[in-house]
Amino acid sequence: MARSRRSRRTLTVIVLVVLSLSLISLDLNGRTHSLTSGVKSVANDVYAPLRQGVLDIINPIGDFFAGAFNYGSVQAQNEQLQKTIGDLRAAQAERGFEQSQLRQLMALENLPFLQSLPTVTAQTIDEYSSNFTATITLDKGRADGVDVGYPVVGAGGLVGQVIQSFHHSSVVRLVTDGQSKVGVTFGNQLTGIVDGQGPSSSMTADLVPPHTVLHKGEVMFTSSLDAAAFPAGIPVASVRSFHTPAGASQESIEVDPKADLGQLAYVDVVQWVPQP
Amino acid sequence: MTGRAMLRVALVIFVVLMVQQSVMVALRIGGAHPDLLWLLPITAALLDGPETGAIVGFWAGLAFDLVLPTPFGLSALVGCLLGFVTGSLTAAMDPRAAWLKPVAAVAGSVGADMLFAVLGAILGQQQMVQIDFLAVCLVVGISSVVLVLPVNRLMRWALAGEGNRRSLVSAESSSRNW
Repeated sequence: MARSRRSRRTLTVIVLVVLSLSLISLDLNGRTHSLTSGVKSVANDVYAPLRQGVLDIINPIGDFFAGAFNYGSVQAQNEQLQKTIGDLRAAQAERGFEQSQLRQLMALENLPFLQSLPTVTAQTIDEYSSNFTATITLDKGRADGVDVGYPVVGAGGLVGQVIQSFHHSSVVRLVTDGQSKVGVTFGNQLTGIVDGQGPSSSMTADLVPPHTVLHKGEVMFTSSLDAAAFPAGIPVASVRSFHTPAGASQESIEVDPKADLGQLAYVDVVQWVPQP
Repeated sequence: MTGRAMLRVALVIFVVLMVQQSVMVALRIGGAHPDLLWLLPITAALLDGPETGAIVGFWAGLAFDLVLPTPFGLSALVGCLLGFVTGSLTAAMDPRAAWLKPVAAVAGSVGADMLFAVLGAILGQQQMVQIDFLAVCLVVGISSVVLVLPVNRLMRWALAGEGNRRSLVSAESSSRNW
């Protein structure tokens, strides 16, 4: 009796493990990925409004206490933001002429100019849903013109790239994620790759020749090399530290993301796909 | 499991998923947040043995896989193994022991997170091992000790009437504690 119960238990676990492995292989296989992606899409369409309903109940309570305890700092932050908006308006007016010239030059080179590309503004509805990935979830999906591969910008630079797109929501891999790699250009026509090292580690810039002259705070922009995954000219990262270890084949560079990844309430999804 | 118990377990999985994705993800300390998912198979296994633990772990993992950006099926695999191992290792132990639930919660949650990350990396998701493991283990471990009692109470309600000796003994002793 106990023996048959034990063998039934073992059989159940074997069946469940085989089922799990089958689902994983379906998801990782390029040809059948659309199947699991479709299931996820439907589930997300059902789940997103339910979760939003829960947040609509919880958030006002949290906001009430946060506002009550931090009223002074919120007011100071508001004044600081008003000043920043004023400065940015002035800077935008001054840059109008430069941007016009840049747009003409980019058109001559057949390169896309970021500000001429259509964008979809989206709200971040979820951040870091897993401890193992650096991702955010947006409230816009395929129905709103957001598709897999589109770059996402905001908060001062490149935020990441859309990796999953559902009907009314999408998942963005942040530039700090360990899977993120962005081709960049900086200085005098130099190129490299900015690698994410996980949400709790510094980003690095790789494939930069040893002893390259850099300076702290130097900004790296998305490059326009053939088949680049991003349109040219988006600020990606700024140099934090650099040195060339003895005998190294490349310079060791630590960089900080240019976008403030702590302020991602709203972002722009750029409707752009890599040119073949 | 009876049909009624299955419905109740499904409801508990849904409630825990909602709490995890709306409240727990906002409680980030050192870049990590509590993880309620693993407590479902752990409590199910403690209450009703390895088979129920594996079944609850599989379905709970599958529900979480639907909303997580990690490979589909990975949480289901780890949840299933976690439920089975927890149930098997604690089968000979006294379910009334006060230390059993917290110890199982810490060891199970931290072990499941490690396994999840390693399996993810093997499947090509290298970023899953590029995290601050110390912070994740501390946050998940400590929060699991705190949250195992409410999750256990939910699971006990879901599995009530299963007629399992472990479940009944545990329910009696827990009702005294609560």
